[in-house]
Amino acid sequence: MNPITIGIFVAILLVSLGITVWAGRWTRTTADFYAAGKGLTAAQNGFALAGDWCSAAAFLGFTGLTALYGMDGALYAVGPLVAFCTVLLLIAEPLRNTGTYTIGDVIMYRMRQPPALAAAIVGTIVINLAYLVPQMAGGGVLIRLLFGLRYDVSVVLVGLGMTVYVAVGGMLATSWVQIIKAILMLGAGLILLLLSLKGVGFDPLVLFASAEAKAGPTFLLPGNLLKNPFDEVSLGLGYMLGLAGLPHVMTRFYTVPDATTARRSVIWVMFLAGAFFACTTIFGLAAVHYLGPEALRVGNPGGNLTLPLLAQYLGGGKGTAGGDLMLGFVSAVAVATILAVVAGLTLATSGAVANDLYVNLIKKGQVKESQQVLVARVTAIAIGIVAILLGILAEGVNVAVLVILAICIAASANFPVIALSLFWRRFNTGGVIGGMGLGLISSVGLALIGPAYLGPNAIWPLVNPTVVALPLGIFGAVIGSLIMGRDHEHEKRFDEVTFRTQTGLRSDYP
Amino acid sequence: MRGVADVSNVGVAPGAWVAGVQSPEFKTLVDSKRRSILPMIVIYVTGYMGLSILAGFGRGILGIKVLGPVNLGFALIAGNYIMSWALALVYARISANNHDPLVKVVVDKARGGGSFT
Repeated sequence: MNPITIGIFVAILLVSLGITVWAGRWTRTTADFYAAGKGLTAAQNGFALAGDWCSAAAFLGFTGLTALYGMDGALYAVGPLVAFCTVLLLIAEPLRNTGTYTIGDVIMYRMRQPPALAAAIVGTIVINLAYLVPQMAGGGVLIRLLFGLRYDVSVVLVGLGMTVYVAVGGMLATSWVQIIKAILMLGAGLILLLLSLKGVGFDPLVLFASAEAKAGPTFLLPGNLLKNPFDEVSLGLGYMLGLAGLPHVMTRFYTVPDATTARRSVIWVMFLAGAFFACTTIFGLAAVHYLGPEALRVGNPGGNLTLPLLAQYLGGGKGTAGGDLMLGFVSAVAVATILAVVAGLTLATSGAVANDLYVNLIKKGQVKESQQVLVARVTAIAIGIVAILLGILAEGVNVAVLVILAICIAASANFPVIALSLFWRRFNTGGVIGGMGLGLISSVGLALIGPAYLGPNAIWPLVNPTVVALPLGIFGAVIGSLIMGRDHEHEKRFDEVTFRTQTGLRSDYP
Repeated sequence: MRGVADVSNVGVAPGAWVAGVQSPEFKTLVDSKRRSILPMIVIYVTGYMGLSILAGFGRGILGIKVLGPVNLGFALIAGNYIMSWALALVYARISANNHDPLVKVVVDKARGGGSFT
């Protein structure tokens, strides 16, 4: 146990709890709870988005993948930035112009039919849980490592932290926790970048040459991790369209006052998170250069400890004050990252359950404002408990499959439905159900019979089935719409959808 | 569902949305957006999916050294970072200079016509 880690970690925890109590006082209405009163600035939301998008999987994972597998790690890191091009050009502004708190709002606004909303709710909950469980499990492993606690106790602590953030402070607290975490993370990244480059005279080419010399001639080639060529294509497709279907990232666009601010917040996150992701590639190569490939493989399955190990080395090495300080700092930021990301996921899930399922689908909107906030808080606590239980059950399970699954479902089920809702006149409830259904079933089904879950006994060759599931999702959406047939009354409403999508007129009338 | 249609269209004159969509100002706005957004989509989809496909099927090509120890693959990855950032800046600029004023014209006209209160 490292006293510096504990000190920094406790400081982060106290500050974030203080923010939560402060935010709790300001959280009275549903707009406060789900969307921070729609009052964030572009920069604030941009930092919070960077916080959301740089999960521990990104922070620790991309560095580790680059250190162990070379170029495939760098391909993992560049995708999330390109993904924001899709969000920027097609999704962010229309979503802000047509929705209120959730992705379900957009579907409901367009379709006005309960089955369409029900399909959107199922999609959101499956994606969020698939994303939440690995984060919980990762948090449990990290806290066990840092504090020597048992795995289940660690998961309960992570779950308690996030539940308090969300249930008490809503989106305002969640956003500020994300902003602070993003600043810490970017600060840590900058320090590590300077230290990594300082050792090679600020010439990154030395890192490439050294990594290739130490890890072998194929290290800088693609295919070390993703052996099947179609998996590389799936990775690209999944990123390019999946991000635009992830509910916890999308709900961030409701926290700003208008589409112009939503757009500017995307520009912020593209530079903040993009620069950080580019750095993870440098860190991965630097880890090979400074620590050597053998040292990285010992006790480091999946490479997730690469960044803490590199930080310790750059700070002065094991047992030195500088090494302990850097290790403590990076570890504490990683734990804060997990807490902040699980809080964002919990909030987006409670939006789907409380706002979409309870208020809109079951009660048909006939719920008083104060009751809606209460329901949302209770839902957040319930989701916290479910997440803790699933997190404990996930011990020892290969959770990587779940992250791939979440992105694959987001790309194959959510993205076609959101995009077609906004841009296709003949899209209808049949299309929502067809797209969600086929996208969801093919993603989950193919992932479960693939190598990520079954290992060498896999029936299906690809780890990431997006390359097949996405076309199936689009096919389901189109066929579903055609089977249900044309409804001219419904299609007339598309004029309203188009006008609002493009102009934002009356954007806060659900 | 939740009497939503009523809330959403309180104070909206019948036929106002259709009239809005068919107005020449709105057509100008959508055309302008389409002209700038479509080429950008073509650029980043080609750039990024091209890289992903080469990573799967053109592994030898990506291994060609272009700058000392750096191969074509890493150069293209760097290119994707620069492409994304450049598109973001260009889009922000076009939106602020061209699209936002056009949106204002459409919204002002829709409000001024008394169709939306």
